[in-house]
Amino acid sequence: MAVDNRSNKSVRTKPKQRFDFFHDERVRSVLYQFLTAAIVGWFAWYLISNTAQNLQARGMNTGFSFIHTAAGFDTDFKLISYEPGVGTYGRIFLIGALNTLYVSALAIIASTMLGFAIGVLRLSNNWLVSKVSLAYVEIFRNTPLLIQIIFWYIGVFSLLPRVKNSIDLSAGTELVLLNNRGLYMAWPMPGDLLWMTGVALVIAIIGVVVFKRWAQKRQDVTGQSFPTFLPSVALLILLPGTVYVLTGMPLSWDIPRLEGFNFTGGASLPPAFLALLVALSIYHAAFFAETVRAGILSVNKGQSEAAFAIGLRQSRVYSLVIIPQAMPTIVPPMISLWMNVLKNSSLAIAIGYSDIVSLFMQTALNQAGYAVEMVGMTMAFYMVISLTISWLLNIYNKRVQLVER
Amino acid sequence: MAIIKAEKTPDRPAPLSERSLIGWMHKNLFSSMFNSVLTLITLYVIYITVKSLWIWGIGDAVWVAETRRECFNISLDGACWAGVIAWLDNIFYGRYPREELWRVNLGAVLLVIWMIPLWLPRVKAKVFIGLSTVALYPFLAGYLFSGGDKGIFMQIMITAAITCLIANTIHSIIGVLTGESLPAFLMTRLGQNNAPDATQRNILIAITVSLLAIIFLWQMTWSVINVPWTKWGGLFLTLVISGVGIASALPGGIILALGRRSKLPVIRVLSTSFIEVFRSVPLITVLFMATTMFPLFMPEGFVLNKLVQVIIAVCLFNACYMAETVRAGLQAIPKGQFEGAHTIGLGYWGAMGLIIMPQALKHMIPNIVGSFIGLLKDTTLVSIIGLFDILGMLRSISKDVPWLGLHKEPLVFGAMLFFVLCFAMSKYSRHLETKLSTGHKN
Repeated sequence: MAVDNRSNKSVRTKPKQRFDFFHDERVRSVLYQFLTAAIVGWFAWYLISNTAQNLQARGMNTGFSFIHTAAGFDTDFKLISYEPGVGTYGRIFLIGALNTLYVSALAIIASTMLGFAIGVLRLSNNWLVSKVSLAYVEIFRNTPLLIQIIFWYIGVFSLLPRVKNSIDLSAGTELVLLNNRGLYMAWPMPGDLLWMTGVALVIAIIGVVVFKRWAQKRQDVTGQSFPTFLPSVALLILLPGTVYVLTGMPLSWDIPRLEGFNFTGGASLPPAFLALLVALSIYHAAFFAETVRAGILSVNKGQSEAAFAIGLRQSRVYSLVIIPQAMPTIVPPMISLWMNVLKNSSLAIAIGYSDIVSLFMQTALNQAGYAVEMVGMTMAFYMVISLTISWLLNIYNKRVQLVER
Repeated sequence: MAIIKAEKTPDRPAPLSERSLIGWMHKNLFSSMFNSVLTLITLYVIYITVKSLWIWGIGDAVWVAETRRECFNISLDGACWAGVIAWLDNIFYGRYPREELWRVNLGAVLLVIWMIPLWLPRVKAKVFIGLSTVALYPFLAGYLFSGGDKGIFMQIMITAAITCLIANTIHSIIGVLTGESLPAFLMTRLGQNNAPDATQRNILIAITVSLLAIIFLWQMTWSVINVPWTKWGGLFLTLVISGVGIASALPGGIILALGRRSKLPVIRVLSTSFIEVFRSVPLITVLFMATTMFPLFMPEGFVLNKLVQVIIAVCLFNACYMAETVRAGLQAIPKGQFEGAHTIGLGYWGAMGLIIMPQALKHMIPNIVGSFIGLLKDTTLVSIIGLFDILGMLRSISKDVPWLGLHKEPLVFGAMLFFVLCFAMSKYSRHLETKLSTGHKN
């Protein structure tokens, strides 16, 4: 483009702003958004109208009235009472949800502990131990969870001895028994006055907390430390123990007994539950281990060197200096891993543990046939939990960041 | 008294504790009482595990037998690999007709031929080769695998795919030998390398069109018989599903991630809710939704087969996970990069495509490969809804009459197969990460 030199001398005027309809940013953004909304809206309407038509054409049931209808089938594992033919589909949903939460909660606890241990061992200065932990992580992380679950179920828990030759896990007292029908264990039966022991325990815990605060404050002021561990343990054991004995030991044990071909009494867990729990814990521990390792490595090396320099033992270096600083890095990925445990517990369907997916989304759906509603309810269950948790996680992240800077 | 030597004294060797095996062991295995005990315990655990695995899997294992009973007659405690070996074809190909297996193998070989140039350092235009793989290979492979009648659309796509494959291959051979690209090589051979651009372009177009025409005529002369998808199975089906998933997850994820970071509220809200919905539910519920609710979504009389339903579900699900990975990569890009790109006059798409996205994706390579590995592992879930993928096949061995009740060995074999695939992928991603890193390591 040729530039006219004389124009430099002339007075500059603001170029006349021509309103170009298609190149104006505001017009464009409104246009794009409107187009997107229209396309998505049309697509949604198309799907919904198709669905409505299909439901009508096939004479399928709609609406949520099934929640109050009695369901005709039974489940083998339930945490709340239920009678087939009397209990409703709403109750089935509740049983499934509780079963999912139960197995996920146990698996989360077990896998976090195992993962923490392996993550720390992975950083051990013992070459062999760290290589073995690495092998654990690689082996379990790189094979599908579903294969692992089925292997534990078919290859381990179904091959246990029969009921008559149960394995006794409690060293000959027959309180905890394992066989191919599952795990049977003695279960406490609370008596009338047990609540007093509970109250005593709560009081003891409060006492310990107050005591520790006092000891800490004293140390801050005078610099002298006060032994807290033994008195705390003594308080925690003695106070509830005394109350328990004084109220006449109001706790009896329901012990499993062999009657006919099976055990009655006590608490029992089916093999599918055990297989799912073990597989979920072992699989996710590998992921936790990597998260913990990354978190610990993220702490500056100078921190641990300084901690050693002021004479702390290795365990104190970890518990007082490294782990607290690694926590903000570890917690967010760890919580999303916890969510993965919850979501992966839906693989229970492959081995027939009655979680929400296999009980409600498959069995109940096949019986009652409210496809849209039941799939929607199941998905809503998972969505509510994970959205709540990510909301809480955001709050935690904000707090941690504020503390940091 | 001081002695100053004129020449340098020879270096003394490192102390014995640093270079001998004993020194290494003392440092790494027996540095303290606690460590020594730990080492011994670990050694014992390794010994027990390896010994029992060796006895079960190799020492006492049976490799040749007709039935499971025969296995038991030979050895009671060992693994019965004979069953897995007898089913090997089924594990890899499912119930694909045995006389048509060459098609599956050819499809795999073609993919390898297509992708090899991406690993050859002297070949140019790798982006084009990569894009052509994603865009054209699926049509060629899709027809090879399913066969039947070629529609006119399929004929065109197959022609384009074959042409592209031939051009790619010649281009890579020339690239390896001379370091030139195919068009430049052709022009030199034809003596036109100094001709004006327009002439060169016209010659290339003429060559391409005539090649297309020849191949179009050639492909009309053959066709392969139809193999319905219900016959697909085994590792082949697993790789088809996860392959489509992997190929579509990245583009889908990029679009969703850009949508989530968009300045336009409607687009942002829609993308965010789409991503969050799919990320908060388990894959199995999405698969169930696909099989129970997709038929309801379709207009009457339009039937989607189960494989397509599953593939759509897998693609949607993984695109959402990929979107979060890509978003994390985008967030790590400093704002100066955006501003710099705008300063040199690039618009939104130019800045994204040329400056931001390449950096973001490079940062996230380990995570992207990690989610590909997750996808490959998660594909086993389709066996729950009744497709005979590799896990479905492994589990049907125990229902086959001669091998009734053979559960463990197939599962272990499947686990080993997946381990090899996934481990190789993750190792390769580490290698890629170090190769592509441009020295921003702090």
